[in-house]
Amino acid sequence: MGGRNEEPDGAVRVLRPQPGAPLAHILTADGLVKRFGDLTAVDGVSIQISEGETFGLLGPNGAGKTTSISMIAGLLEPDSGRVEVDGIAITTRTTKGKVNIGLVPQDLAIYPDLTAVENLKFFGHLYGKDGSGLEKRIDEVLVVIGLSDRRNDLVKEYSGGMKRRLNIGIGLLHRPRLLILDEPTVGVDPQSRNAILESVENLSAEGMAVLYTTHYMEEAERLCDRVAIIDEGRVKAEGTRRELVAMVGEKDRIVIGATGDLTAGAAAAGGVPGVVSASGTETRIDVLADDASVILPELLGRVGAAGASISGVEVVEPNLEAVFLHLTGKALRD
Amino acid sequence: MGATTRIATKDLKLRIRDRSAIITGIIAPLFLAFIFQLIFGGAFDQSLDLSFGLVDLDGTEVSAGLGQVLDAIEGEGVATVERFGSRAEAEDAIEEGGADAFILIDEGLGRSVMTNMEATIEVVGDVDAPTSTQIAESIATQYATGVGAAQLAVGTTAAASGTPLTPDFIASLSADPATAAFSYELTDVTTATRQLDATTYFAAGMAVFFLFFTVQFGVLGLLEEERDGTLARLKAAPISRASIVAGKALLAFLLGLISTSVLVVSTQLLLGASWGSPLGVAVLVVAGVLAAVGIMGLVAAMARTPEGAGNLGAIIAVILGMLGGVFFQLGSGDDFLSRLTFITPHAWFMRGLADLADGAPWTAALPAAGAILVFAVSTGSVGWLLLRRRISE
Repeated sequence: MGGRNEEPDGAVRVLRPQPGAPLAHILTADGLVKRFGDLTAVDGVSIQISEGETFGLLGPNGAGKTTSISMIAGLLEPDSGRVEVDGIAITTRTTKGKVNIGLVPQDLAIYPDLTAVENLKFFGHLYGKDGSGLEKRIDEVLVVIGLSDRRNDLVKEYSGGMKRRLNIGIGLLHRPRLLILDEPTVGVDPQSRNAILESVENLSAEGMAVLYTTHYMEEAERLCDRVAIIDEGRVKAEGTRRELVAMVGEKDRIVIGATGDLTAGAAAAGGVPGVVSASGTETRIDVLADDASVILPELLGRVGAAGASISGVEVVEPNLEAVFLHLTGKALRD
Repeated sequence: MGATTRIATKDLKLRIRDRSAIITGIIAPLFLAFIFQLIFGGAFDQSLDLSFGLVDLDGTEVSAGLGQVLDAIEGEGVATVERFGSRAEAEDAIEEGGADAFILIDEGLGRSVMTNMEATIEVVGDVDAPTSTQIAESIATQYATGVGAAQLAVGTTAAASGTPLTPDFIASLSADPATAAFSYELTDVTTATRQLDATTYFAAGMAVFFLFFTVQFGVLGLLEEERDGTLARLKAAPISRASIVAGKALLAFLLGLISTSVLVVSTQLLLGASWGSPLGVAVLVVAGVLAAVGIMGLVAAMARTPEGAGNLGAIIAVILGMLGGVFFQLGSGDDFLSRLTFITPHAWFMRGLADLADGAPWTAALPAAGAILVFAVSTGSVGWLLLRRRISE
């Protein structure tokens, strides 16, 4: 996959295609702009997502994530730019193309005085589903979101996590080509959060294209094949986690716990191709490298050969938090 | 089933489940109609009990004419008339409650009339019976006007013929000048403006008053969906935005129709209300519900939140209800206040039902229904456009 990454100074970098990535685009959003009075909430956002791909939109609150997905889902008319889902143009007046989109809004969008089944059935009807096919699909979705045993309880009696899961279930009920999840784990307990993340992984594995917005770096790293970092309405960078890390020059840090002649060990480590720096202390050797996964076997072999007795290895990869800080000058949760 | 019907059906289920629409739409108006009927029903149907006195100190043919007028009124059962020999006797009768008012014809009235001179008729009334006194005044004034007209006719004839104005000449022109020129009309003003019996009046009043609260449960649903986040999901669905607004309007119409229909039937069965031609009532109810949906839709379009719309809607419903005479009739006859009431659909609804009273055909309701539909179309179309624009933003 190619990527169009924008530096803070406005320069655009083109990333290398990801080997083996699918090519059929389910979503094409091109140059989306949305202004509210003097405020430009979204400024030229472009996103492409392929079948089976999970794409993360990572940014702090107020970065323009929800406005972007509102335009993509046809809730909001862009001032300029275009959106296509599965080849059909999406606008606020579109009805046909919206059947390909499943939206999970950030705020709970369910009816508390209806049961889970009634909620699912109502929205299923709006998407043109009916009869035994709908009943069967409702059963499947209830299994996926883990609410089969509470299917006929009023939603107002559910816990917060259960409501969140139903919120997601409604979005995927009609088997959309593109599932848009807007911060689906906000305010969710750890157990439900894990269940939600597992559901998203499974959906992606089934071939659904997923657009996932979050300000939780851990979720983006776990779920997303590619990530766009968005701030102040603009995409600052886009690519795989490793591409983004490489783009900003962050290195892997390898900590080798060892005894023996660690000075010699550090010198040996420094000679391994890909190692940027290596230094020894009384109990460990600290190594900075471009890609730990590539050099690790050779690195450990040379350190051992230099007379160090290795007791443990820890690899600390640079994360998106660091990338975000580098690109925007602020922490992700600001 | 289309999206509009799906949305309306879902909302109807929610409204039935939370019971608020049933309480507002059916139980509250039925209960209040019953209470009002109990409290005001007797007073409402009470007829005027008039008692007049006549003191005729003149004793001429002219003064006898007023006596004949009063006797005719008594003959129709509208009032009782008693004759007194003196002012003091009549005043005592008023003091003791034997009469509400008396008319005093002083000695010399007949002569004054015959000689074309000014004459005076005095009316004395009980301060605690202002209506009776007013009616007695009215009778005396009309009588005096009739006598004045006869005087003018006689004088004119005499002047034209050059004949001296003698009693014989006057008698030759008219054997009974006083009564010949006099006619009277006694009207019960309250009855003229209210042709519905008390039970039907209050049942209809409460039905149309609460109708505006009931339809709010439908039109405010759109604002509630907006507040609760479900509107985003509806807008993301492959349905037109018009169908979302239409779904809410349909629910409002259904709630209004169901609640008013239940009230019509239940007040007829339980309270004995007499609504008139079923088809005429149906036409009025449909028109009234449409007007309520239109007005409350406009209110919803102008409000920012469901709570704000609810408050504003309640204020408007109460003002329109009061002005439209659902609790009591404003003004009387053709005065300004009476005409003002017809800027509300409520007044037209009540008027339409009154037009259906006494076995009138269903078409009697059409003028009022037409007026109500003007409210429905004018407010509903603006509300529709504003709501469409609101959810398209």
